Amino acid sequence: MSEVSSRTDEELALQAKGGEMRAFEVLVEKYKRHAYFIAYGFVGNREAALDLSQEAFVRAYKAIHRYKPDFRFFTWFYKILSNLCLTHLEKRRVRRKYEVSLEEVPFELATSKLDPATIYEQKELKKKLWEGLSNLPPDFKEIIILRHFRGFSYKEISEILQIPIGSVMSRLYYARMKLKEELKDLI
Amino acid sequence: MGCEKFEFLISGLLDRELDTSQEQMLRGHLRVCDKCRRKHEELLRLKEVTDSVRFKDLSGEVWAGYWKSIYRRVERGLGWILLSAGAIILISFGLYESLSQFLADPEVSLLVKIGVSALGFGFIILLVSVIRERIFAYRRDRYREVQR
Repeated sequence: MSEVSSRTDEELALQAKGGEMRAFEVLVEKYKRHAYFIAYGFVGNREAALDLSQEAFVRAYKAIHRYKPDFRFFTWFYKILSNLCLTHLEKRRVRRKYEVSLEEVPFELATSKLDPATIYEQKELKKKLWEGLSNLPPDFKEIIILRHFRGFSYKEISEILQIPIGSVMSRLYYARMKLKEELKDLI
Repeated sequence: MGCEKFEFLISGLLDRELDTSQEQMLRGHLRVCDKCRRKHEELLRLKEVTDSVRFKDLSGEVWAGYWKSIYRRVERGLGWILLSAGAIILISFGLYESLSQFLADPEVSLLVKIGVSALGFGFIILLVSVIRERIFAYRRDRYREVQR
């Protein structure tokens, strides 16, 4: 496995295209967390996110003969994943204004060192933030997930979404302003 | 440069994605523009809020079995394809053989042969029509490849 894992993503994808399953396994191991958390950000349900992220890898494997190394593997894979997530949302017609219970909120606190009063405030904040994020248009939601929750750089986001870096900056600005509007009681 | 250009740069400043000249230019503008300074503060607060939470993680067990689950799905998909192909070939061959023997049987009257043949052809026409309609609907499915 170590020999395989030292290859670039594009080399691995080409190896997988040639029928080497182990090469595809390395790609899955490398990107499974990104895939799952991005899907979670889109759909907000743990089981659905796990299923969609795995299904995206299955579809990527089945379509690997169409992969061209002109694109980064993750850029190509992301298109499959995001289309699957958006189709899932469209079919379930959950892209609407909605409220969730505290238990349904897919966030947890980034730190555990908080007093009870702050923890209560943070629970409300998590709920409002998830509702706000859920109400954003898909292109705003995805850029917030990629930047805030997966920590991709502007260059990486530009490659994943295939837009110029200037557009990443402006889209992030509008997405943040919209999210701020959704959270006007908190900010 | 109008405020709009500086507003976009505010995002870059928050994410430490600006080059030195862009940062100097924006900081200079923030010193003199109350509106942009207020927006910067609001977006900084928003960033603090999003930084304070993260998505709930899965258990180590689920992560450990993640690849195996994908492998099983791929394997199962291949199994279904082979099974379906085999079934289609065998059923088609069986039907062809039975129909050939039936039509060649001199004891069966011509009327029955015509009736059975019409029934068979009718079924095939209906099947092809339904498959064609399904393929057409699939190609026109607006959610199949959601475009953004």
